[in-house]
Amino acid sequence: MNALLRFQNIDRRILYIIVAIVLSVPIIMRPARHPDTVFPEVQHAYNTIDSVPPGKIVILSNLWGAGTKAENEPQLEALMRHMFAKHIKFVLLSWDPGGSEISWQSAERIQNDVGAKYGRDWVHLGYKTGAANAIISGFAEDFQKVFPVDKRGTPLSKLPAVSYVKNSGQIGAVVDITSVGMMDTWISYLTSPKHIPLIYCPTAVMSAAAYPYLDSGQASGMLNGAMGAVQYETLIGRGNVATDASAISWALSAAHIYIILLILMGNLGYLAARRAGLITGGRRIG
Amino acid sequence: MSWAHHIQELLFPSTVQGGWVWVYIGAGIIAGAAALIALMSTPPRYRKAIVVAVTFLGGLFFSLEFLLPHEPVTAFGHTLLGKGHVTGFAQGLTNAKPSVADWAMIIGSFTLLLGTFNLFHVHGKAVRKKTAGWYNSLAFFISFFLIMVAGFAKDAMGGAAKTISTQAFAILFNGFVQQLDATMFSLIAFYIVSAAYRAFRVRSAEAGLMMGTAGIIMLGLVPIGAILTNWLPHSGPLASLRLENITYWLLTWPNMAVQRAIGFGLAVGWLAMSLRIWLSLERGSFFDRQL
Repeated sequence: MNALLRFQNIDRRILYIIVAIVLSVPIIMRPARHPDTVFPEVQHAYNTIDSVPPGKIVILSNLWGAGTKAENEPQLEALMRHMFAKHIKFVLLSWDPGGSEISWQSAERIQNDVGAKYGRDWVHLGYKTGAANAIISGFAEDFQKVFPVDKRGTPLSKLPAVSYVKNSGQIGAVVDITSVGMMDTWISYLTSPKHIPLIYCPTAVMSAAAYPYLDSGQASGMLNGAMGAVQYETLIGRGNVATDASAISWALSAAHIYIILLILMGNLGYLAARRAGLITGGRRIG
Repeated sequence: MSWAHHIQELLFPSTVQGGWVWVYIGAGIIAGAAALIALMSTPPRYRKAIVVAVTFLGGLFFSLEFLLPHEPVTAFGHTLLGKGHVTGFAQGLTNAKPSVADWAMIIGSFTLLLGTFNLFHVHGKAVRKKTAGWYNSLAFFISFFLIMVAGFAKDAMGGAAKTISTQAFAILFNGFVQQLDATMFSLIAFYIVSAAYRAFRVRSAEAGLMMGTAGIIMLGLVPIGAILTNWLPHSGPLASLRLENITYWLLTWPNMAVQRAIGFGLAVGWLAMSLRIWLSLERGSFFDRQL
C-alpha cells in the first residue's frame, strides 16, 4: 500500500529527466520504420497533389515558425518531395518571418537533394503581413499584381515556374501548413468560391477540429502533425528511409506510452489513498 | 485610357524603376506622415467619426463584393437579381480586390513598425534608467541590430562581405533564433507530462470515459498503436478492434459531432462580434479613452 501511495507524488525532476530521455533516444537513433497505417485523409491529400493538372501551380502557405518546426517542417518536406517527383510547380508563401526563412532553407535543401531548380520548379514569395483575407482574395484575381516579385526581389514574370500565373485559374491546389487556425480564411476567400482543393496541415493538437471540414469536402485532405507527414512519406515511397518524421513518430510513441503509464500510476496511488482514508471529499466531474 | 487611369497609374504605378523608386518611397513616407499628423491634430470627436467611417467602409467593401450577384439571377424568364448596373458594380469591387490586398499589406507593415517602436521604447527606458534586469534589454538591442545588419548585408552586399554576413546570419538565425524558439515551445512537453500525471484522476465515470478515450487516441495515432493490435486481422469484423481503427472512428464520429456543435456556436459568436466591430459598437480602449 505504501508503495502505491508513493505513485501519487513522484518528484517532478524525475518526471522531467525521463521525458527528456524518452524523447531524445528515438530522435538520436532515427529509426527508419514508418507506420503501416495510412489514414484516409492523408491518402486523399496525396491523391489531390497527385492529380494537379499540368500548367497549374500549388500554393504552399506557411504559418509556422521554429516552435512547431518538428511537426510542420516534415509536412512541408514530404509535400515538396512529392511535387518535385511529379514535376508539379509550387510557390511557398509565409505569414511568419521565421517560417519564411525556415521554409526557404527546407526547400533549398530538398531542391539540392532531388536536382530541382529555383525559378523553374518552385518559387518563394517571402514573408507577407497584413489582413490575410484581403491578400488571398486579391491574388485570386490578379496574382502578379499582389505578388510582383519573389523573396529575392526577382519579378515573377522572369521566373518560368510562375510567369504564366494570372489568377486563381492557374492554381491547382492550396496547402495550408499551419500552427494557427487559418483554414477558415482559405475556405472563405479562395478554395470554396473558386473550387480549388485545400489540403490542411495543422499541428496534431489542432487536427481534431478539422474533421467537419474534411467530411463536408471543404478540405480535400489533411496531414495530421508529424504523424500525417510520416504517413505521407510512406505514400511517396520513403517508407524505409530514416527521416525526421519517422524519428519523431517513434519519439511520440514513446512519450505517449510514458504519459499513459504515469496517469495509470497516479490513479493507482489515488485509489490506494482513498482506500486508506487519506483522501476525503465528494465526486468531481472531469 | 481615361484620365482616371492616368491618375491611378501616376499615384499607384504597377512598376517603378531606377531613381523613381526612391522618389516614390520618399513621397510615400511624406504622405503617410502628413496623414498621421492630420489625423492626430483632428479634434477627438471627429477623429472617432473618421475611424468609424473607415471601419464601416472596409467591412462594406467585402460584404458587398461577396453578396452582390456577379451574374444576373433569373427565374421564369425574369431577372430577379443583378441587373446590369448591379453586376457591373459587383465586378468593379472584385476588380479592386488586388489593390485592397496591396493596402492590406501596407497597413500590416505599419504594425511591424509599431511593434518595433514599442520594443525600443520599453527596452530603451529600461536601459536608460537601469531598472532591474536592464541587461536583458541591452541584450535585445544587441540582438536586434546584429541580426538586422547581417540580414540586410547578406542580400545587399557582394564578395567577401556577402560570405561573412551570410555565415553570421546563419549562426544568428539557425543557431540562436530557431533553437531558442524551439526550446521555448518544447518546454510544453515537460509541463504537459507533469500536469497530466498530477491532474488526471478518475474521480467519476465521466473522467474514466475521458481517460479511456484519450488513451486510445494517444496510442492509435502513433505507430506503436498499430503494433500493439497487429495480431488482429486487417479486414473483417475483428479489424474494427484494431487501435488505429477505433481511433479513426472516435475522430470521425463522436469528435466530429462535437466539433460541429462547437463550430456552430463559434460561428454565431463570430457573426455577432464581427457586426459589433463593423458597426463600431464594440467599446474598449479604442473608444473609451481619448485617441
